[in-house]
Amino acid sequence: MDPIVTCRGVTKTFGSGELAVNALSHVDLDIAPGDFATLAGPSGSGKTTLLNMVGALDHPSAGSVTVDGQSLGNLKQAQLSDLRLRKIGFVFQSYNLVPVMSACENIEFVLELQGIGKADRRAKSLEALRDVGLEGLEHRRPAAMSGGQQQRVAVARALVSRPAIVLADEPTANLDSTSAGELIDLMLKLNDEHGTTFLIGTHDPRVLDRSKRQINMLDGEIESDARH
Amino acid sequence: MMSAFGTLAPLSWRNVWRNPRRTVITLIVVSVGLWSVLFFNALLIGWVQSSKDAALKLLTQDGQIHAVGYMDDPSVETFMKPPSGALLEALNDGVIEDWSMRVSAPGVVQSEYKTLPITFMGVDPEAESRISTIPGDMEQGRYLQSVEDDGIILGKHLVERLKTDLGRRVIVMSQSVDGTLSEWSYDVVGIYDSDQGIEDFYIFTGLKTSQEFLGLEDEIAQVVVTLPDEADLVSSIQTLKDAAPELDVRSWKELNLFLAMTDDFMGVYIFVWLGIVFSMMAIGIVNTQLMAVFERTQEFGLLRALGMKPGRVLLMVSIESALLIGVGVLLGIVLAIFSIWSLQGGIDLTAYARAMEMVQAGSIIYVDYHPDGIVRYSFIIWILGILVALWPARRASKCSPQEAMRRDT
Repeated sequence: MDPIVTCRGVTKTFGSGELAVNALSHVDLDIAPGDFATLAGPSGSGKTTLLNMVGALDHPSAGSVTVDGQSLGNLKQAQLSDLRLRKIGFVFQSYNLVPVMSACENIEFVLELQGIGKADRRAKSLEALRDVGLEGLEHRRPAAMSGGQQQRVAVARALVSRPAIVLADEPTANLDSTSAGELIDLMLKLNDEHGTTFLIGTHDPRVLDRSKRQINMLDGEIESDARH
Repeated sequence: MMSAFGTLAPLSWRNVWRNPRRTVITLIVVSVGLWSVLFFNALLIGWVQSSKDAALKLLTQDGQIHAVGYMDDPSVETFMKPPSGALLEALNDGVIEDWSMRVSAPGVVQSEYKTLPITFMGVDPEAESRISTIPGDMEQGRYLQSVEDDGIILGKHLVERLKTDLGRRVIVMSQSVDGTLSEWSYDVVGIYDSDQGIEDFYIFTGLKTSQEFLGLEDEIAQVVVTLPDEADLVSSIQTLKDAAPELDVRSWKELNLFLAMTDDFMGVYIFVWLGIVFSMMAIGIVNTQLMAVFERTQEFGLLRALGMKPGRVLLMVSIESALLIGVGVLLGIVLAIFSIWSLQGGIDLTAYARAMEMVQAGSIIYVDYHPDGIVRYSFIIWILGILVALWPARRASKCSPQEAMRRDT
C-alpha cells in the first residue's frame, strides 16, 4: 500500500550564513495508512518543524514531501490551503477552537470551508461529536468546556472530513492525566475502528507508551524508527 | 461570495463583541466623530441660512435689477424706468416669487442736534411687507401705509444718534434730478429695530413721495426680486437678464460677496472638518483593529492551517470592521439627530447680537439638516472606515498557518 506521507531528504534551514541553523537534516520518512505514529525527541529536535512540513504549513529548504500522492513542492498558497482543508486534520496543543463558535460550529466550520451544505454538515458534525463522546455538548462554547473536552472537539474537527492523516502537536500537553488518558484512548479507538492515520509530535510518555510506531528525533535527524 | 458572506457575517458579529471594552472605545470614536461632522454640518447650514435671512431678507433679497452704471454711481442720474414689456412679463410669469420697486439715493438726515449721512429709500409698503423683514421689525410707531405715505421710518440706532424720537420731525436732503439740493421735512412715524448697519444708514418713505422729493416722474433705482426656490437662482437671474439685456441684473451672490463666499465654501468647510475628524477616527480604528488582529494572530494561523484561504480571512476581518463601524455610524446618526432635535428652538446668541451682525448672521442660529447630507456623510465615514480597516485585515490575512503550531506553554 502506498504511504500517506513520504518525505525524501527533507531539510529545513532557518537563517543564513554563520547564523544558519538546520532544524531538519535530510529526513526520509514514510507514514503508512493506518499508522499511529509518534514523533518523539527533546525540544529543538525538529518534531514541530517536521510536522509543519508534512502539514503543508511550511516549505522545506531542500527535499520533497508528498501527502496522499500529491507533491507539495510546487503548490501555491491557495493550493496548500486546499490540500490542508481536504487531506489533513490538525490537533494543536493550545488554542484549538475558535472561541466565539460552539462545539458543533467549530466542527461545521471546516465542512463549510469545503462547501458542504448546511444540513449535511450539521449531521456530520453531530456524528463526529458522538464519535468523540461529546453528544449533547454541541451548543457549548469552548470557554464552557474543560481542556479535555476542547481537545476532543478538536479531534472531532480534525476527523470530520475524513482526512488522509491527522497531525497532532503535543495534544496532551495542557491536559491532566485523566483527560490525557481519555484523549489517547479516543485517538487509538479512531485509529483502530476507522483506520485513521495519526502522526503525533510529543514527548509525553503517556502517549509514547501507547504509540504503535515511535520515531525518535534528535538534532533534526531521525535517530530511530520502531514499531511496537 | 454571498455564501461566504452569509457564513462569515454571524461569526464576524460575534467577534466584534469578543472584547467589549475595545468595541466600546471604537464605537465612541466613530459615533462621536460622525456626530461632530453631522452636527457641524447642521450648524453650518443653520449659520448660512441665518446669514441669508439676516442679510438678504432685509434689503438685498435674491436679486436686483438696476440701470447700467448705478452700482458704480448710485445717484438719480443712473435711475431706470419701471419694468415694462418683456421684463414685466418675466417678473410676473412665475419664475419670480415676488418683486418690488425702490428708489434709493444718498443723502443726509438732520435733527436739531446732528446731521448724518444716510441712504434715502422710497418703497412700496405693500410689496415690502411681502419680501422684506423690516416692516415686521417696527419697535415703535407704524410702518408706511402706502406709496404716497409722507412719513419717515428711521432705524433705532439712528434715532439714538440723531437724538430724535417718534413724532418729531427730521430734515432729509438729497440731490434732485435737476441737480439742485432737495430738502424736505418729514414726521418720524416709525422706528425699526434691525441690523445696526441697516438702522444707521437706511431711512424709508413712500415710493411716490420719494420720487416727488427727488423731482422724478416714475423713475426708480432698482427692482428687487425674491425667488420661490434658491436652487433656481442662476436660471431665474438668467431669465431676467434675457428679458432685460439693457439693464444690470445681479443675483445676491454678486451683490453680497462675503455671504456668497460663505455659502460657496460651506461644502469645503464641512469636508475639511470631515477630513480632520476622519484622520483622528482612522488612527483610533486602525489602532484598535490592529490590536485585535495582533491578539488573534494564533487564531488566524489556526484558521489558515485548517484551510481558510487568505482572501477569506481578509473578508472575515473586513466584515467585522464594517459591522463595528456600521454600529458606530448608526449611533452617531442617532446622537446627531437627537442633538439637532433638542436645539430645534435655535441657539440663542442674542448676548452676542452685535458681533453676530458683523459676520452677517442672525442672533439666533437655527440648526438645520438635510437628510441626504446625513446619509452622504455617514456613508462616507462608513466606507472610509472600512477602507482604513483593510490594513489590519490584510495583516490578519497574512498570518502564517504556522502560528497555530506556536506553543503558549
